[in-house]
Amino acid sequence: MKHTDCALIIGGNPAANHPISMRHLQKARDERGAKLLSVDPRYTHTSSKSDLYAQLRSGTDIAFMGGLINYAIENGLYHEEYVKHYTNASFLVTDDYAFDEGIFSGYDEGDRSYDNSQWVFQTDDEGNILKDESLSDPRCVFQLLKKHFSRYDIDTVISITGTSKEDFIEVAETFCGTADPNKTGTIMYAMGTTQHTKGSQNVRSYAIIQLLLGNVGRPGGGVNAMRGECNVQGSTDFALLFHLMPGYLSAPNASENHRNLEAYKAAETPSGGYWENTPNFLVSLLKAYYGDKATSENDFGYDYFPKGRRNYSHISLFEAMFDGEIKGMFTWGQNPVVGGPNSRKEKKAMENLDWFVSIDLWETETAAFWTEQSGADPTNIDTEVFMLPACGPYEKEGTVSNSGRWMQYRYQAIEPKNDARSDAWIVHNLANRIKKLYEGENNPVAEPIQALSWDFGQGDYPEIDLIAREINGYDLKTGRTVESFAVLKDDGSTSCGNWIYSGFYPDAGPGEEKNLSKRRDDEDTGMDNYLNWSYAWPLNRRVLYNRASADPQGNPWASDKEAIWWDASQSSWVGHDVPDFGADVDPNSEGGTDAFIMRGYGKASLYSADGMTDGPFPEHYEPYESPISDNPFSKVDLNPAVKIWDGKMNDRGSVSEYPIVATNYRLTEHWQSGSMTRNQEWVSELMPYMFIEMSEELAEEKGISERDKVVVESARGSIEAYAMVTKRFKPFKVKGKKVHQIGMPWHYGYQGIATGEIANVLTPHIGDANTMIPEYKAFLCDVRRANS
Amino acid sequence: MTTYSKLVDVTVCTGCRACMVACKNWNDLPVETQAYSGGYQSHEKPTGKTWNVLQMKEHETANGGFEWLYRHSACYHCADAACEKVCPEGAITYGEFGSVDIDQEACVGCSYCVYNCPFDIVELADYVTEDGDVRQRAQKCTLCEDRLQEGLQPSCVDTCPLDAIVFGEREEMLKLAEERLEKAKQFFPNAQIYNPPGVGGTKMFYVLADKPSVYGLPENPEVPTSAVLWKDIAQPAGKALLGVTMMGVLTGYVTNKLFNKGEHHEEGGEVDESKHG
Repeated sequence: MKHTDCALIIGGNPAANHPISMRHLQKARDERGAKLLSVDPRYTHTSSKSDLYAQLRSGTDIAFMGGLINYAIENGLYHEEYVKHYTNASFLVTDDYAFDEGIFSGYDEGDRSYDNSQWVFQTDDEGNILKDESLSDPRCVFQLLKKHFSRYDIDTVISITGTSKEDFIEVAETFCGTADPNKTGTIMYAMGTTQHTKGSQNVRSYAIIQLLLGNVGRPGGGVNAMRGECNVQGSTDFALLFHLMPGYLSAPNASENHRNLEAYKAAETPSGGYWENTPNFLVSLLKAYYGDKATSENDFGYDYFPKGRRNYSHISLFEAMFDGEIKGMFTWGQNPVVGGPNSRKEKKAMENLDWFVSIDLWETETAAFWTEQSGADPTNIDTEVFMLPACGPYEKEGTVSNSGRWMQYRYQAIEPKNDARSDAWIVHNLANRIKKLYEGENNPVAEPIQALSWDFGQGDYPEIDLIAREINGYDLKTGRTVESFAVLKDDGSTSCGNWIYSGFYPDAGPGEEKNLSKRRDDEDTGMDNYLNWSYAWPLNRRVLYNRASADPQGNPWASDKEAIWWDASQSSWVGHDVPDFGADVDPNSEGGTDAFIMRGYGKASLYSADGMTDGPFPEHYEPYESPISDNPFSKVDLNPAVKIWDGKMNDRGSVSEYPIVATNYRLTEHWQSGSMTRNQEWVSELMPYMFIEMSEELAEEKGISERDKVVVESARGSIEAYAMVTKRFKPFKVKGKKVHQIGMPWHYGYQGIATGEIANVLTPHIGDANTMIPEYKAFLCDVRRANS
Repeated sequence: MTTYSKLVDVTVCTGCRACMVACKNWNDLPVETQAYSGGYQSHEKPTGKTWNVLQMKEHETANGGFEWLYRHSACYHCADAACEKVCPEGAITYGEFGSVDIDQEACVGCSYCVYNCPFDIVELADYVTEDGDVRQRAQKCTLCEDRLQEGLQPSCVDTCPLDAIVFGEREEMLKLAEERLEKAKQFFPNAQIYNPPGVGGTKMFYVLADKPSVYGLPENPEVPTSAVLWKDIAQPAGKALLGVTMMGVLTGYVTNKLFNKGEHHEEGGEVDESKHG
């Protein structure tokens, strides 16, 4: 970020929620005169530090970015050489692909899903993709992209985003100015981008503009997700998401495609790109899971691994719980009664549980879901509730992985209080006790549990070095840890718990400690990469796809934007970063410009033939609850590929009843559901009360004065909170009509020092078509002054 | 002799308020939860229990622009401090790192400093004496003199992620302020340094984004004339003539007559009725 010339901050508020990132942006500003652009539904702390604030109605990111994409192409403001060599712009798409009135080809209305086999590239008889390097063929990606986004002209865009024309043009001119090879621009986003029914496509739209401008893989560039928790990167790396195994391997499911190891390998291994190694990573993972019980005869224990039968995302689980299908639950540092969408329904669903275990630092709202204080009737709830007190971050040791994929070791500062135990202790003892329960049993249920390898020492606490060795992976013959995932095998001779982290604990014999996440050399090794500080996966590379920082011949695009470059005398890539590329692959040889090594064909996707469930290009659709009924881009209002939940307690609100757009967000002073901060008095006194932010215009229309109590109501429920009347909110002009938007923090609940009503009572059960992330950030409501 | 200063560049502050929590944490100050303010700002101003407050203001500029202004507000540590002049007990002194210190054991809680602070900073708050009694004593930011003695930075400085608050030798801080001002002017045409000469300059001084009056600050605060007369002329003379004990008795009487609250606010500070952010 320090090396950027322009930061477009959209769907995030780093000044409030990622303050350290603002430190780097301030340096970019001081040292390079970088511009900061803040695009957001409301004027935030970040806006206060930006060169320009542009208003955007919540849920219209794709319209806004589509406008930028169109502006860049129409005005020739794209990095042509980068686009030609590093993206799939030249690839020809088959005639099956079509887009008409908001719907891509291959749509099944009954299923609300697409068959993406109609989106593929043209190939020759040998399967090679056909290209038009001149980018002029009407079926090439570039021309299809141009055509798709030609509909996103400025006037249509701003008619629904509510942005002023002047502001939109200034953002477009400034940001698209980074198409100059001497410049780079970065996009920083957070949950304001992702928590929508088209959240994944929102991010895709950012990726497309960044690829057009040549801003990926270069210092000061990138599409930067600002992680909302110190270890959310680590959590996803280690398969916190239901559809993945560690290292982003697809979790086996009950489909025919995954019926056995061979079928899985065939289905999940692309030809070309680094994912060709999928079998090596998977078999090594199975060896880590099942040890000696994983043999070539039993498919390395593949059948032991549970096969998913359905979608297990957050909303799906609570819907199933509401319907009585789920009988027990652990929440581990999670507080769905505050943080879950449609939280009243989720709290009600918990009443169907036979047992419930809350692992947390405090008695959270979720742990107390059955109490009178929570509004429940304890006499009608049979759930047995267990609470396991967990350690705070400073009472345990281990690693966290940050947004830059740095795995950093943290040491224990103080002893835990009373009965509190670390997460590692809890999971270690659970595993050992469950294994003991199944000892000696002889049945198919017991077998996978008995087969599970759990060798983390004999102590009450697991040995962290043994866990680290398992993650890094080791050679089963020598016992030495591997130096890289490149040596992992699919023959059962290597074990590896998470291939992307291979190399952080390199070449260590049994008992030998070599944990690179503990490194603390703070000398800048060039371009602020600090290669000897901690460890960044993969292989300590700090900027992914950094081959793209150099031109096709291997020279840096700009002298002050150097990352790696080709040194012909050494026949090697050298520079300030670890090459994210074959170190000796000559730029002039075959594959020498395939900068995007994880992609099957080595090029970044302007057009996503197989990555998305809801279309190869982003397309604007309205939120599930929208203030307008006539989407100017097509006749389709809602993303046609989202699953609609139509069960009880999840009504959809209409604009006639609920005319005001609402969104929610975090404050600097509170963290997530507030269980850590609302129990801390110094932080609580800074933000003691739940509030609703609104414009002076809306307050006047509704007869609301500063500090009044107001009631906000959606189709799911209502809450009461203080009014915050502010100039930082302004009504939007959408299709010529005034649309009001309110905003609120989602941190509050009924437990702790600072309490307040729960914002998520208002939000619906509806999620993104790809990830099922809930649409927290755009819904409809009404607001009125509370009766005093 | 080397002197030191704390520079607060509000133009790069992001309003995160880590300075407020760090201060309470290091100094182990009690909470003082306020009624709902109507905005993000938590406390109106610094108090005896809350030694720094991040003040926020929604400001519409003359040309129709909008700013959300922040200001870390705490003791100014005036070079020529009114509080030091009026203290009848000699409990207020100048520390070696630029701080204005109040000796809690020597303070008798008379409030003269409270009434005479040109910036309305110092206040009485509970203090547990060496004998274990709870007494009302004048309290405020100490500039973390205890940390400075150990070679550390003040806790607000240490925690500020944007280096909006910095501490160092005064000459360097003055130079840095000029550099920061040049940069700030690109975004804030009215930006200026606030280091009022009427109180001899302050050891906590600002780069402001706009005129002092926008922040509700006095344009040119001064040490009240009565305080100067008392401290620099009447008190030394009186002590010489009457002896220290007798002077102490008189002190209470005379200072009560001389000083009354309010006389120090009329030096250009606008009364600001607009709400804070």
